[in-house]
Amino acid sequence: MNRLLVGALALALGAIPVSAQSLEDLNIQIHGYATQGFLYTNQNNVFTTTSSNGSAAWNEAVINISSAPISKLRVGVQGRYFILGNYGNTITLDWAQADYKFNDKLGVRVGKVKTPFGLFNEIQDIDPSYMFALLPQGPYSIASRNSQLSEYGGVVYGTLNGHKLGKLEYRGWDGVRSVTKDDGNFLAQRESGTTLPNGLSGAAIGAALHYRTPIDGLMIGASDLYVYQKSCVIVNTPTTGSGQTTNNGTETVSPFSQPFFFSKYEHGKIMAAAEAWKSTAKQSVALTGKPVSINATANVAWYVMATYKVTGKLTAGAYQTQEFNHNAKLGPSRYLKDWVASGRYDFNQYLYAKAEEHFIKGTETDFDATLNPNGLKPTTNLTILKFGFSF
Amino acid sequence: MKKLLYAALFVASASIFIVQASAQVIVIANPSVKTSDVSKNDLKDVFTGASTSLGGGSVVPILLKAGTVHEEFLQAYIGKNDTAYRAGWRSLVFSGQASMPKSLDSDSAVVEFVAHNTGAIGYIGKASAHDGVKVLTVK
Repeated sequence: MNRLLVGALALALGAIPVSAQSLEDLNIQIHGYATQGFLYTNQNNVFTTTSSNGSAAWNEAVINISSAPISKLRVGVQGRYFILGNYGNTITLDWAQADYKFNDKLGVRVGKVKTPFGLFNEIQDIDPSYMFALLPQGPYSIASRNSQLSEYGGVVYGTLNGHKLGKLEYRGWDGVRSVTKDDGNFLAQRESGTTLPNGLSGAAIGAALHYRTPIDGLMIGASDLYVYQKSCVIVNTPTTGSGQTTNNGTETVSPFSQPFFFSKYEHGKIMAAAEAWKSTAKQSVALTGKPVSINATANVAWYVMATYKVTGKLTAGAYQTQEFNHNAKLGPSRYLKDWVASGRYDFNQYLYAKAEEHFIKGTETDFDATLNPNGLKPTTNLTILKFGFSF
Repeated sequence: MKKLLYAALFVASASIFIVQASAQVIVIANPSVKTSDVSKNDLKDVFTGASTSLGGGSVVPILLKAGTVHEEFLQAYIGKNDTAYRAGWRSLVFSGQASMPKSLDSDSAVVEFVAHNTGAIGYIGKASAHDGVKVLTVK
């Protein structure tokens, strides 16, 4: 059904003039993009796909409508269809907001707003805007994308001009974030028979500072996200053993914060960036008549990346990322290390293609048990081809 | 040694070419814009969506859709080609941070629009007629 809806959406988009120039009289703009990805792995199946046989189960289609009824006010809405293996396959509201910018120093967005943590979260779903096919998975897990992208609430933002000292961009946000039942964070639980029918939701508060230094093109920054989630209902139906019955209970995730530290340098044909991230969480599962089980994670991740514009149309890049869960047992399930080489070719301003190779060591994230029934191998090479169209 | 000299000559020639190229583009603004000159950094901020003000007043960037003048402007003042430049704007549009600037077909259309819209700022070829707008000096 969702594929039919996407088909209808594509036809509707086709009816719109490709340049998507403003609808003059109403001051309305319509933009969108769509991508098709192909995955192939030489070992483990990844992202709940059958990638070891080659998988094309990776699509995204976005449509965005915005209007500026008066000079300082913009209102808009963005919808998104996303599927990656067993993730997504649904249309979600990416954001829907009213944005009033008093001046460069102060602006306010309210509604369902993008959560601006880290270097990439605001744009991690906007494939046409960056060169890599897959961003570092520690901070920007594609399996949890729908939950991380936005929240219901507001953002206060602005830029303070220090003239010769550079510029300081600030963002502060407060809202409610929903982690849906199909989120990648719950994958292991789902596979063991525990589901969260209503997902998890709670307050997500944070702030980010981006300091644009006097050195042309150099930005350094930090952000922190504090998440306070309510307990939620869980339903457990054991997947193994006989004579076992469905059991209800609650799941509670203790409040946690996720600090990010990052830097980016852009000059001419070169872009370089680095980011470090930390997340600790404690999850308690209480099923009726059974002892409470507690699962604590202490994840840290970092990456360094660089891109170089080889020609006007061709960009090449690479990154190295590592993630560790310090609470996991020793072995490949404790870490994920990924060397990535990538290239992007822009045929014109609308069409592009990406090719990317990942050399992955470890199984800390991205791999599920169901599609890897013979156990996980400690290394996997992942090849990605992606085609995109935007207007 | 000769190779070094040739290389130096090539770099010098290229530099002259770039300076000449940027000299072929002028930045124009609606008479309501409160300044007569603009720094290269401030101009870059306005045309990349990082800033919406100039000289204490609101401004709105107007682009050319394509062409030599457009490419020269991007090369001289933004430091990106058209593909990379529009990818930057798409980041802002799809993350809800800005609207895509209006892109017009010709120098005369840019002049016409800038002349009649408060706060509008654009760029055209130096040789194009530009009645009704002010020319900003880029420092």
